[in-house]
Amino acid sequence: MSIEEFNDAIKNKLFGDYELKEDVDHYGNSNSWIVLHDKRDMEVVAKAVKSFKGRCVVATGYLNEMDGTHTVIYHFDINGMIMNAQINTNDKTVISITPILRSADWAERELREMYDVEPVGHPTKDRLFLDYSIAKGVLNEYISLSKIQMGVSDTDVLWSQVNKGVKV
Amino acid sequence: MSEKIEIGPFHTELEESVYFKLEVDEHRMVEKVEIINGFIHRGMESLVTKKNFMQNLILTERVCSLCSNNHPMTYAMAVEKISGITIPLRAEALRVVADEVKRVASDMFNLSMLTHIAHTHELMKDTMNTREHMQDLKEVIWGNRMDMSSNLLTGTKYDLDDRKVKIILDTLDTVEPKIRDLKERYENDEELKTKTVGVGVLPLEDALEIGVTGPVARGSGINNDVRVMAPYGLYAYRPELQPNVTLSLRKEGDVHARAMARFGDILEAVRIIRDVVADMPEGDTYVDKRPHIPAGEAVVRTEAPRGELIYYLKTDGSQKPVRMRWKVPTFTNWEALKVMILGDKVDNVTMILNSIDPCISCTDR
Repeated sequence: MSIEEFNDAIKNKLFGDYELKEDVDHYGNSNSWIVLHDKRDMEVVAKAVKSFKGRCVVATGYLNEMDGTHTVIYHFDINGMIMNAQINTNDKTVISITPILRSADWAERELREMYDVEPVGHPTKDRLFLDYSIAKGVLNEYISLSKIQMGVSDTDVLWSQVNKGVKV
Repeated sequence: MSEKIEIGPFHTELEESVYFKLEVDEHRMVEKVEIINGFIHRGMESLVTKKNFMQNLILTERVCSLCSNNHPMTYAMAVEKISGITIPLRAEALRVVADEVKRVASDMFNLSMLTHIAHTHELMKDTMNTREHMQDLKEVIWGNRMDMSSNLLTGTKYDLDDRKVKIILDTLDTVEPKIRDLKERYENDEELKTKTVGVGVLPLEDALEIGVTGPVARGSGINNDVRVMAPYGLYAYRPELQPNVTLSLRKEGDVHARAMARFGDILEAVRIIRDVVADMPEGDTYVDKRPHIPAGEAVVRTEAPRGELIYYLKTDGSQKPVRMRWKVPTFTNWEALKVMILGDKVDNVTMILNSIDPCISCTDR
C-alpha cells in the first residue's frame, strides 16, 4: 500500500479540494496526512480505507480558540501505514464514518461528549465516559478543580442535595 | 423469562471499575449487554495541556501502572519527532529492554488474574510467583516495581553496566524455564481448559471490523503488532529483534487462545531482552542538549503489552502542548467485549472481561 495508490482511490471521488502529503519518519514508517475541505469527503476517505482493509485507530478533536471552529483528525491504519485525515468544522458537526468503519465508533462518541462535535448519522446516542448530568464539550474550556468537585454540571444538582441536608 | 443482572462498578472479580448491565435468559445466557465506563475518567488530556513538556513525562507515566513505561516512551517519541531529534542507538536499546521487561510482568499479571477468576489456584500462585522475579528485577534495575521512570525526552535516564546485565540474564535464566512450564500447564490443564476453551469467542471477521489489537487480535489470528507492521526504535534498526508473531497467533479467538497468545508474547519478550543485552550498542544514553520543541504535530505509536498505543501531539512553539491525544489498546478492544459476552454464560462475564486484559485507567484517562 502506497500513498499513490491511496490517492488514486480517492482523487476522482472527492467533492472538494484536498492536500495530501507523505511524512516518513526516520525509522522508515509512512505517516501520511490529508487535509479535506468538504465534510462529505471524510466518507470518501473512510470508504477508501475500508476498501484497503484498513481501520480507524482513533480520532482527535480540538477547539481552535481563535475562530471557534473545531478540527477533527481521523487516524487510520492501512497495513501499517498511518493515514491522518483532517477536517475543520464551524458548526460542530461532522458526518459519522462509523456506518462505514465500525472501528470509529468510540472515537466519534468521545468526540461528541468531550468537544460537543456531533458525528451526524452515528448509530449510538449513549454516552461513552461521562455521565449525562455532565454537559457535552467539557474539553472545550478550562474547568477549575473546584468546579469539577461540584460535578462539572450545568446544574447545582450536587449542592442542592447538600443543602437539603443542611438544617438552617 | 429474562432476568436483569448488574455487575460492578465495584466487584471482587473486577480489577478496575466498570459497570455491566446484563439481561440473561432462563439458562443464564446473556441476551443483552450494556457496558458503562468512565468511573476513572480524570480529564488527563486536558491536564496535559496545562503542564510543560517535562512535567508531562511524569504525568504520562501515571496514566496507568501496568503499561506505565509505554506511555512516557511513546510521548517522548512524539516530542522527539517534532524536535527532529534522533536519540542514540544505546538509548533505543535501553528503551526496548525496559519495555519488554514490563511486557513480561504485565502479561503475567493478566494470566494470574485469569487463573484467579477460573479458581485454578495452584496455577495462579505459580504464575504470580514467577512474575515476582520480574518485579524484583524492576526494583533492582530501575528502583521501582511499577513506574520505572526510564525515559527522558531525548533518550533514557538509566544505563546498564556488566553487573546489571548479569542480574537481568540471571533473572531470565530463572524465569524462562518456569514460564515454559507454565505455558505447558496452561495449554493442558483440564480444569482451566474446561472454563476457558470456547468461552468468549471473538471471530476473525468481528476482530477485523472492530479493529482490535495486541494479544486480543493475535488470539483471533490477526497480526497487527506495531513492532512488526511499523517497526520503531531498535526494532526498526535490527529487524531480527522483531517478535516472531507466529508464536503468538491462535485462531480459536476464545479466552484460552488469548491467554496462550500472551505466552507467545512473553517468551518472545524474553528472547528480545537477551538479544539486546548481548549486543548493547556503545555510546550515550541521551542527547545532551535540551530539546527545542517547535510548532508541529506528530503521530507515533508503539506496541504496549495490551496492543497498539498511539499518541498524537500538537505543539505551537510554547512550553506546553496545544493538544495531546492518546489511544490505548483497551479503547478498541473494549467494544469486542459485546461480541464475546453475548450468548455466553453470565458466570463467564468477568473472565471474558479479564481476557482482554482491560486497562480502564488508560481507557478512561
